[in-house]
Order: sequence, then C-alpha cells, then structure tokens
Amino acid sequence: MYKTVTILIQFIGLYFLYWLGTAIQKVLNLFIPGSVIGLILLFVLLSLKVVSERWIQQGAGFMITHLPFFFIPATVGVISYAYIFKGKGMLLIAIGMLSTVLVMGLSGAIAQIMVQKKEGSYE
Amino acid sequence: MNNFIIGLAVIVATTLLYWGSVTVYKKFRHIYTVPIISSTLVTIVILLTFQISYETYMIGGQWIDHLLGPAVVGLAYPLYQNRDILKRMLVPVVTGTFIGAVVGITSGLLLSKWAGFSELIINSIVPKSVTTPVAMAIAEATGGAMPLAAVFVMIAGIGGVLIHPFVWRSFRLTHYIGRGVGMGSASHAIGTATSMERDQLEGSISTIAMVLSAVLVSILAPGLTILLL
Repeated sequence: MYKTVTILIQFIGLYFLYWLGTAIQKVLNLFIPGSVIGLILLFVLLSLKVVSERWIQQGAGFMITHLPFFFIPATVGVISYAYIFKGKGMLLIAIGMLSTVLVMGLSGAIAQIMVQKKEGSYE
Repeated sequence: MNNFIIGLAVIVATTLLYWGSVTVYKKFRHIYTVPIISSTLVTIVILLTFQISYETYMIGGQWIDHLLGPAVVGLAYPLYQNRDILKRMLVPVVTGTFIGAVVGITSGLLLSKWAGFSELIINSIVPKSVTTPVAMAIAEATGGAMPLAAVFVMIAGIGGVLIHPFVWRSFRLTHYIGRGVGMGSASHAIGTATSMERDQLEGSISTIAMVLSAVLVSILAPGLTILLL
C-alpha cells in the first residue's frame, strides 16, 4: 500500500514535468515533443541535485518497467493502416530493415573507432 | 452501453492482457513473445473477432495513451543512473549516437521518398529508431500517423535484434561501446533489452544511446524533414 502511494505521488511529479514540457513547447513554438523537453528538464534537475533521485526512483522505475503497457492502444491503431503494407507496401519493411542496419553499423563503428583511439593513446 | 463502462472494460481488459503477456514472456523468452507484440496482436484479434471499432476501443484506450508523456519524462532516470559511464565515454557515445540519428532519419526518408511513398508514410518512418512514445510524438509533430510510426519502430526494434549478429560481423563491432551504441541507436528499448541480457556494460551504453537518440532525433527530425522532403 505504502509503495502504491509513493508511486502515485511520484507519478504526479512526472506528470507535472510533462505538463511543464508541453507548456514550454507551446510558448516557445518548438518542434521537440513536450515529453522530451520534460525528460531533459528532469535530467538537468537531477544533475543539479535540485531533485533528489529518491523523489522519482519508484515512480519512474514503475513507468519504465511497464512502458509497453502504455503504448498498447497506440500500436493497436495499426488496424486502421494495415492496407498500407499490402502490395508495394511490403517494400516499407525492407526500407525499415536496411535503414536499421545502416544506423546500427555506422553509429556503432564510429563510437568504437573513437574509443579505441582513446584507449590506444593511454598505452 | 455508456462510455464510462466501455472505457473501464477496455482498461481492465488491457491490464489483464498485458499482465498475461508479461507472464508468458517470463516463461518463454523469445523475440515473438515480447509483451508489446503479443498484447497488440491479441487485442487486434479480439477487436476483429467481436467487430469492435478502433474508435470504441479508444474510449478506454485514450486514458492509457495519456500516460505516455509522463512515462517518457521518466526515461531521464536511467540516463541519470548511468551518468558516470556517460561522463567517461561522453564524446564517443554522443558522436556515435548523433551519426546514428542523422543516418536513421536521412536513410528512412530518402529511401521511402525514392520508392514513391506518400508524405504521411515518409513522416511516419523517419523517427523509427527511437522508442515508441517519442517516435509517435515526433510523427505527430511532423505530419505522420502515430500508429504507423509505432509499426516502423517495431520493425526497427525486432528487425535490429534479428539481424544484429550480421551487422556486428559486417561492421566489425567487437567492443561493448560500439555494440551498445549500435543497439540503442538503431533498436531502442527492444535492442537495449537484448544487450542487457548479454552484458551489463553493453546494456548501460545501449540505454544511454537509446535516450540520447530519442532527444537527438526529436531535435533533428523536423529540420531534416523540411530540408530533404
């Protein structure tokens, strides 16, 4: 019971930051989603020790563990778009895969080369 | 039936379904038993069987949907937890993830544009390498379709996990930094979960790359889309 109350209170805190992020997005007319602005805000507040890790630990942990639950309704929405993947639409799967290979390979290779240079320079 | 009862029924049913899918996943760990995939498929089968429209389902679904925003805010926490490793590896991890974000947006956009797909589809494929809630928010902002964006996110996540041994061989990714950055940048939470099962360090790097990538893609996508479309 105590744990449920803690998660609920911490959830309200996260919700407030989400609301604040959305408000900032509207006021400054930004393209970045309000939720991502809220994420950045929370990271900054944690780093500056304005917000203690203990204040959000359980709430954020709970939300992240069960993240898939929160987007089930959105993914179910694909039934309205199933027609897109018929025929030529199959090509979209190939495009998604090819692009994923490029992202994984290139981002990983660049990070690895930089680390190996850095580690090499200590020798 | 009034909307309150329908809404409540959807929320209760979704919760039970999710709980069931997590239980199955814990017993049979496999890429096809990942809770989001099994829950979504079972829900779709139920809706089609009983001829329930998506609009009716969303009377309850919108309440769950509404919690996505605060859940994204919560992602700051794992990023903060991994701050020490982030500080040590800042330049390689940020550079790698940045390149990944640019490559992901550009390749998805140009390939689907050359193949002659509509702007609605192109804008939905652009944010595919980031975690679903952020990808949907980006798609909404740039004129894509949120459910379609979620499908492309699944393709990037599941596809990436299936194909990663091939990518690691082709690009000679042997270091946990390279592997973690690759998995997190390309296949978000699904990739991160796979990395985490193998190696804690690789998993931490993947977590950082996943969150950084969400931030970078949401900053870069709108501009690059206008430039390239």
